[in-house]
Amino acid sequence: MPAQLIDPKQILARRILVIDDEEANVMLLRSILQREGYTDIHCLTQSKDALSTYIDLEPDLVLLDLMMPEVDGFQLLEAFSRHDAADEFRPVLVLTADTTIQARRKALALGAKDFVAKPFDVIEVGLRISNLLETRLLYDRLRASTPSAI
Amino acid sequence: MSRRSTLFWTDRPLAFKGLVVVALPLAVLLGSLVSLYLASSAETRAEDDVRRAFAIQRDVYQVHALLAEAAAGVRGYALTREDRFLEPYYTAERDLPATMERLDGAIEDRDVRPRFLELLQVTQAKRDGLSATIALAQSADGESVDQIEQSLVANKLALDAVRQEIENIQQLEGVVLDRRRALVDDVRTRFLTLTAVSAIIGLLGSFAAVYLFSTGIVRRVGKLEGDAELLARGERLDDPPEEADELGRLAQRLSRASALLRRREDDLKASEERFRLVIERVRDYGIFTLDNKGIVTSWNLGAERIKGWRTDEIVGEHFSRFYPADTRDTLPTSMLERARVEGAAEDEGWRIRKDGSRFWANVVITALRDEAGELQGFAKVTRDMTERRRSEEELRLAREEAVAANLAKSEFLSRTSHELRTPLNAILGFGQLLEIDEEDFANPHRDAVRQITKAGRHLLSLINDLLDISSIEAGAEEVEMETVNIAELLEEVRSLADPIVRAASLRFDIYLPDKHTLVEADQRRTTQVILNLVGNAAKYNVDGEFVRLGAEASGDHVTVFVEDDGPGVAAADRSRLFTAFDRLGQQKLSRSEGTGLGLALSKSLVESMGGTLDYAPRDPGGEGSGARFCFTLSAKPVSASAQHGAQ
Repeated sequence: MPAQLIDPKQILARRILVIDDEEANVMLLRSILQREGYTDIHCLTQSKDALSTYIDLEPDLVLLDLMMPEVDGFQLLEAFSRHDAADEFRPVLVLTADTTIQARRKALALGAKDFVAKPFDVIEVGLRISNLLETRLLYDRLRASTPSAI
Repeated sequence: MSRRSTLFWTDRPLAFKGLVVVALPLAVLLGSLVSLYLASSAETRAEDDVRRAFAIQRDVYQVHALLAEAAAGVRGYALTREDRFLEPYYTAERDLPATMERLDGAIEDRDVRPRFLELLQVTQAKRDGLSATIALAQSADGESVDQIEQSLVANKLALDAVRQEIENIQQLEGVVLDRRRALVDDVRTRFLTLTAVSAIIGLLGSFAAVYLFSTGIVRRVGKLEGDAELLARGERLDDPPEEADELGRLAQRLSRASALLRRREDDLKASEERFRLVIERVRDYGIFTLDNKGIVTSWNLGAERIKGWRTDEIVGEHFSRFYPADTRDTLPTSMLERARVEGAAEDEGWRIRKDGSRFWANVVITALRDEAGELQGFAKVTRDMTERRRSEEELRLAREEAVAANLAKSEFLSRTSHELRTPLNAILGFGQLLEIDEEDFANPHRDAVRQITKAGRHLLSLINDLLDISSIEAGAEEVEMETVNIAELLEEVRSLADPIVRAASLRFDIYLPDKHTLVEADQRRTTQVILNLVGNAAKYNVDGEFVRLGAEASGDHVTVFVEDDGPGVAAADRSRLFTAFDRLGQQKLSRSEGTGLGLALSKSLVESMGGTLDYAPRDPGGEGSGARFCFTLSAKPVSASAQHGAQ
């Protein structure tokens, strides 16, 4: 393991929002997260409630499925970035069964910070989650120390 | 003139004819002149003779006169003894010798000459007599009178003799003169005759020259002129003349030119007729001509078939009536203008038939210009494209349907893939979680979890391959061709595939081509194909020792091959080798698991890059001596910079 800039406990305490219309996948992600030691986990299968939950919870990381009925992942990505302040770094990890390059490009262009194709490797997903949270924490720390620079 | 001499004359060259025509009258003239000269000199000679005869007569008379006067004088002197009577005698003595000398020179006639000699003698006798008388008279006395008388009588006799001789001579000379006069007359008559004959011959010679000139030159030049006139009018000339001179040859050439012209004209006519017939009979194309204003001037069968008008109905009409009302006022004019300016104008659009129905036409109007570039009208070719337009329309619809179907298929596959992946994600995810925590389970459960994840991964690779194949077949993903260094690529693939081969306990050999060998290929697809082939070799080479990867350049392509010394592919199975899902019974082998799509996918990938994928036994001689899969890539010529870049 590389030298940690952030205390792992701090990472595990972050709030994670899981949005996926497939119950089994939500359960899988929750299992992975719990197994890793995360405590503040919120799951959602109704994508139409996603934006309000997002606003209410102000999560540190969103795990987002793309293909969902009613409101899809792309729309949510747009809504999140519209809502977030310009200086906010709130990473979204897209997890989708749509493996086309078009979907990948579109998601990343709309603000997703990372992209993992389903079916995914459990361990890989765990590592990507902790990396993104670490980045967020580092960003927060940087913003706190030099507010004027950002 | 006989035919042979005519031919002889006409066959002579023109220079010869000219010479004859000019020389003939000249020669006649010259002959006349010579004869004239000869005749005139003969006449002069004859006249001289006459003149000489007259001079002789004159001198003879003078001799007689001188002697007579001298005798008279001597008689007087003898009577009177006066000296003045002797004067005539002295005159005679003085003049006679000269006169006699002249006569001596002048008298040549053989008959007269003896008389002259007689005359000389009697004259001398007379003169002697006279001188004797004078001498007697001077010495006279009485007795001598008788002597004087006797002398005088003698003198008288002498004079009579002289007179007699002179008469003889004159008589003879008269005969000579008459003869000479007759001769002069004769010469003059002959001269006149000769002149007349010369004139006649000269005239005849001129006639002959004119005739020859006419037959040899003028008449034939006239004929030639007539021939040239005929030729100019394009009429046929008679058979060529046989004469061998310049005019004859000229006439023959004219005749040949006429024949040639005629032949060409005939050919041209035949060709034009053929061409006209061809155009007239063409049924699939409406071909007709327009004058400068767009009035129809000719009409073929195809035009009648396509448009419905017969020739006699449409010739003389303006071609705008073929156009529908909405374009009739503008399009025909602009088409003609375009053809006038650009040489030709093409258009495709609706046209009207005689019965008012519409048809879709392809039209080409071509400006017709003469050699001077002057516009002579237009040629218009019309094709009825209605049928083709309909089939094109059908084709377009079919294509659209196919595209839509293909899109639907892609959409279906994409959705299927998504729908399959989503539950598979949960299966594999939980399976993996269970595997991580496998020490929590008893052995049978542990195996069950492993089977679940193994089956799940198999299902996933099936889904991935299916999606790959369909997206390649649909051309959904673009082939990204680039210049690839094949040796570097093989090295890379070897490092990727090495663990797979090693896991199968096989030796991994590599045969690299020249390190500068470049190919045109999609790097990702090529890697995928090689990995698949190497994976297959490792998977199915159960009893062998090695897997061999290599490439070799030959000509414009590079062959990449993967070999092994395993069982190979049975001859009966080879035709099904590249069929999707056909695993040739290999699934029974415990070590081999697969989707049955790998070779089908590889084949699609290679073909998408323009190459071919083939199988052959490694050693064609014996069965079971290994497999050899190879595919081709197009080679890229090595440039100096590429070599440099590769180093």
